Amino acid sequence: MTADLSLALRRFLARLGRAVALAFVLLWSVGPIALIVGAAFTPEKEIFSVTPQAGWRPTLENFVSLWAKWGDFFAGLANSLIVTLGATLLAVAVSTLAGFGYSRWKSRFLAGSAFTMIALRLLPPIVTTLPLFPIVNAFGLNDTYLVLILLYATFFVSMGTMVMRTFIDQIPRELDEAAMMDGASGLQILRRVILPLCGQGMIAVAIFVIVYAWNEFLFAFIFTTKQAKTAPLVMSEMIGSLDGVEWGVLFAATTVHLLPVLVFVVLCQRHLIEGLTAGATKG
Amino acid sequence: MLPSRNPRVALPFVIPALAMLAAVILLPGLYVFWLSFHASSFGQSPVYVGLANYAKILADPYFWRALKNTIVVVLVVVHVELLLGLGVALLFAHGLPFRKWLIACVLAPYAVSEVGAVVMWRTMFDPEAGLVTRWLLGLGISPLEWSVVPMHGLLLVALLSIWLHLPFSFIILYAARLSIPKDLYEAARVDGAGAWQCFRRITLPLMMPAILIAMLFRYIFAYRLFSEVWLLTGGGPARQTEVVAIYLYLEAFRYNDFGAATATGWLMVLTSLALALVYLRKLHREMHAHDG
Repeated sequence: MTADLSLALRRFLARLGRAVALAFVLLWSVGPIALIVGAAFTPEKEIFSVTPQAGWRPTLENFVSLWAKWGDFFAGLANSLIVTLGATLLAVAVSTLAGFGYSRWKSRFLAGSAFTMIALRLLPPIVTTLPLFPIVNAFGLNDTYLVLILLYATFFVSMGTMVMRTFIDQIPRELDEAAMMDGASGLQILRRVILPLCGQGMIAVAIFVIVYAWNEFLFAFIFTTKQAKTAPLVMSEMIGSLDGVEWGVLFAATTVHLLPVLVFVVLCQRHLIEGLTAGATKG
Repeated sequence: MLPSRNPRVALPFVIPALAMLAAVILLPGLYVFWLSFHASSFGQSPVYVGLANYAKILADPYFWRALKNTIVVVLVVVHVELLLGLGVALLFAHGLPFRKWLIACVLAPYAVSEVGAVVMWRTMFDPEAGLVTRWLLGLGISPLEWSVVPMHGLLLVALLSIWLHLPFSFIILYAARLSIPKDLYEAARVDGAGAWQCFRRITLPLMMPAILIAMLFRYIFAYRLFSEVWLLTGGGPARQTEVVAIYLYLEAFRYNDFGAATATGWLMVLTSLALALVYLRKLHREMHAHDG
């Protein structure tokens, strides 16, 4: 009897402990986001008021002033969108080609270059900005979409290639051998056999590049000044105006910038997890 | 053997990727190495100075402060993050209702930009009106004076880095935990093992490779820390919260000392490679095992 009771009690305590831990995890992960998104819909005057307000009346006034005062921010969003799409297309295309090459052929050179690829990914990006800065200026590429697209895509090509290789490895070789018997070239095999079957991998790679390119700060900060300025950079300018940060407007901008990619990550959760476990840590 | 098994056929497929990496990362990296032995600034032709750049930064107290700050932040961030990630992974592996939605919640910070995260954490820890500041005051704990006290600034940087990157560690560890076969636990329970023994004898040893990989990756990536510090404290007050990447940026783009910046850059490369060596050696062996 008492043994049963203590066992039941221990089970109950373990459950309680897990529930409390879970509550903390949720508060930790979602709390900061919810706070800012909530504040974006709160009148500017009430955001930091210490006395609790009688009832929260959501308002769009912060979004309206964001629209009125920070046209720059929306130009930045458009720039971010262009750069993100460009970098994603480039990285997915190049990674798929290379992933196919590494999956289907073996040689010393291929093994060595795959290894070099992974090693290169480990170099800190800020180091490459030093020599690239004068080169980019010399080519007149400063403040263009092209330089950001190229940088973002390149920094994900090695991981993208490893993810694609892992996914393409799972496509049975018998399929391309059959096509080869029919006289198909490498490119035809890629188009007819591999591409229709490696969509999952391409989505996984795309997610990584999209989230990275949409959010990236360092390269945008160094290589863009006006025309190609991305949204995170405009947000940093809002924080930077130290004498008068308009918090409500800043929260509205943060919310507008975050929500699309947040919804995207939640919807593509499965691909994100698969991609990360398929090759992210290998490349 | 069919002619298209010839590895030369693979070259056109891998060359675009290799060319991009060579142009954007490898050649600039080597050029940094060459530049680090030269005195140069924007628009000037470099003059060979031997090891003078290295001597200069190694004699610069700001460099050492930046290095110390980086090491402290990286050690705190990586270890706390892995412990948290392990805890959350085990919690989720235990089986929870609405698991898909709960995982989505844990992954949410992955979608947040560094700038967005700085806005969030700065607001919560605002010295006057921040929510957490008020909570801490309510509990009788003195809040973080992150814009004044350097250690507090770095602590806030560490907190928000952990928050931003926990999803990565969590996914790696969660996947590793799920790949442990269930019958191992069943067999252990039949033998009368308790929860702690299962953890010590099964979970921990089998997850160790994944833990080490996650740790290495986080060391290498945390070491690059730039945006969070730049946007939160800008390295101040009085350059006291600088990290190595900030030091490099300031030397190059504010003080126009390209030599010192490239020497710092090359030291960063060497440190990253040294950290990565363990991982790369393992990978090298695996690749050759596959080839054989």
